[in-house]
Amino acid sequence: MKNQFSEQHLKGIRKNQKTVLFYIWRDRWLYLMVLPVLVYYIVFKYVPMYGLVIAFKNYNVFKGIHASEWVGLDNFAKVFSNMHFWKAIRNTILLNISTLFVNFPLTVMVSLLINEVRSLRFKRVTQSLLYLPHFISWVVVSGIAVKLFSHNNGSINNMLNFLGFDSIPFLSSYGWWVFTYVTCNVWKELGWGTIIYLAQLTNIDETLYEAAYIDGATKMQRIIYITIPMIKSVAVVMLILSISKMMSIGLDAPLLLGNTKVMEVSEVLSTYIYRLGIIRAQYSLSTVIGLFQSVVNIIILFIADRFSKLIGEEGII
Amino acid sequence: MLLKKRAAKINEFTFGSLLNYMVLAILVIICVYPFLNVVAYSLSSNRAVLSGKITIFPIEPTLNAYREIIGKKQIWLSMQVTIIVTLMGTLIGLILTICAAYALSRKKLKGRGWITGIILFTMYFSGGIIPTFLVVKSLNMYDKLTSLFIPSAVNVFNFIVMRSFFRELPESLEEAAYLDGASDVKILVKVFLPLSVPIVATIGLFYAVGYWNDYFSALLYIQTPEKYTLQLRLRSLLFTEELNQFGGSLEGLGNTVMAESLKMTCIVVGTLPIILVYPWLQKYFVKGIMLGSIKG
Repeated sequence: MKNQFSEQHLKGIRKNQKTVLFYIWRDRWLYLMVLPVLVYYIVFKYVPMYGLVIAFKNYNVFKGIHASEWVGLDNFAKVFSNMHFWKAIRNTILLNISTLFVNFPLTVMVSLLINEVRSLRFKRVTQSLLYLPHFISWVVVSGIAVKLFSHNNGSINNMLNFLGFDSIPFLSSYGWWVFTYVTCNVWKELGWGTIIYLAQLTNIDETLYEAAYIDGATKMQRIIYITIPMIKSVAVVMLILSISKMMSIGLDAPLLLGNTKVMEVSEVLSTYIYRLGIIRAQYSLSTVIGLFQSVVNIIILFIADRFSKLIGEEGII
Repeated sequence: MLLKKRAAKINEFTFGSLLNYMVLAILVIICVYPFLNVVAYSLSSNRAVLSGKITIFPIEPTLNAYREIIGKKQIWLSMQVTIIVTLMGTLIGLILTICAAYALSRKKLKGRGWITGIILFTMYFSGGIIPTFLVVKSLNMYDKLTSLFIPSAVNVFNFIVMRSFFRELPESLEEAAYLDGASDVKILVKVFLPLSVPIVATIGLFYAVGYWNDYFSALLYIQTPEKYTLQLRLRSLLFTEELNQFGGSLEGLGNTVMAESLKMTCIVVGTLPIILVYPWLQKYFVKGIMLGSIKG
């Protein structure tokens, strides 16, 4: 009796072991398909995460990451006591908030406008042309922008002069540079941003509008009471998502649009890391900034996710 | 019948909708005007460029700037580099993304939650620019073309879009093929891929545009001017005085003016390929983006 039990037990174990191997063998092709991608992520994303330890070391190119000596928080102290670092943070947030402030309401408004268009052909052409700038590189956008906004012989200033106004220093005064930066960003991404709202709007049941119409609702009322509530939750999630990206900023736009005259407002975290790390080869110090940025980002993201769930929307993680 | 009438009345043409059309038309003009302006500049004569009166029509049209560009080896060399990087990057990106997304969309695969988690985590936390730079350097990729497409081979967003798409295809497709004795690879290639043309086109477009427009990787990893990508070359032409060397015999004012229309011609040459493929592919990507917005 006892014997029989243990035999059964053993069989059970054997069967279980077999199943794990069995699954791996059965799905060997699927595992093989994932393998290269997994290797890619480990080499190019997880190894650099290990590389973050140089933030706590005095990195020496010849000694390598492992052999460089530990310096504790010295690098952090150096970075945090540097005025340029705080300026870069201020500029990053300033540029992000200004862009969001203009871009967000405009995107929602333009989505509503496009949604109201009844002529399918007009709608399609409008959408295609509005999405186009998203596909143009920042180098080209900045090249065009510099030509349009430049102080001498720029098209916009030429037009202003023609109308009898003075030239505006779009690229060389702090305030106007921020204006130019925001304009270029909005120009490039406004149309693309409407896609997500329009996707949501196509889900609205037409009969809702018909019912509202029969009940005597005006067009404006139909937009306010049917359309807007339908996109409210997408809008809230998009807003929270953009706020949670406050500390990250692309390098292209500030670097390409910026010039020595407006460094005071155009130097953001990414350009600062680039200049400090790549051009001046201060690997440890710039890694400190990158680490700081990543950590702050992930904290904001968690807070934003909590907040999003708190107000009854879907989480964003 | 009655309903149709009502629907027609809802959609009737009012002053409000006229305003709507006008606002959108103005937005479209703002979007397109800079392009047309650039093209007009590139086709205009020196004198016209200097006058600053060019809008969307070339004044005293000439192909001089284009002739000059054709003679510039640097541009075509960079164009070659960019074409190689774009083709390789898109191909590798598509293959890797399709394979991983397909495998991780199969419910039967054990451990797929963990593997997906490993991939998605990189969206929220990363080593940053410098540690990645050091890895690329230590892999001996610095100043090689591989540094432009290997370190950025797979994009998490594209992976999510692809995986959502595969997940939504009916499972019965797979089962039927299994019963016929097909392997996973065969099922992917023969059954799933033919159904995925729109999404593959979308993801391919995203990768291709990304590589074509990529300027940061080249800025970081490329040192030799012969290996400059088109964007890096454009940048050095547009934002420094390198063009003055281009100008040749022209001196002073004449030189900068020539540079202006040459710059615009560079922009046209660098952007044209995107504008040319855009109409063919844009019908696919709206769907792709919608799928991407459904969270993974």
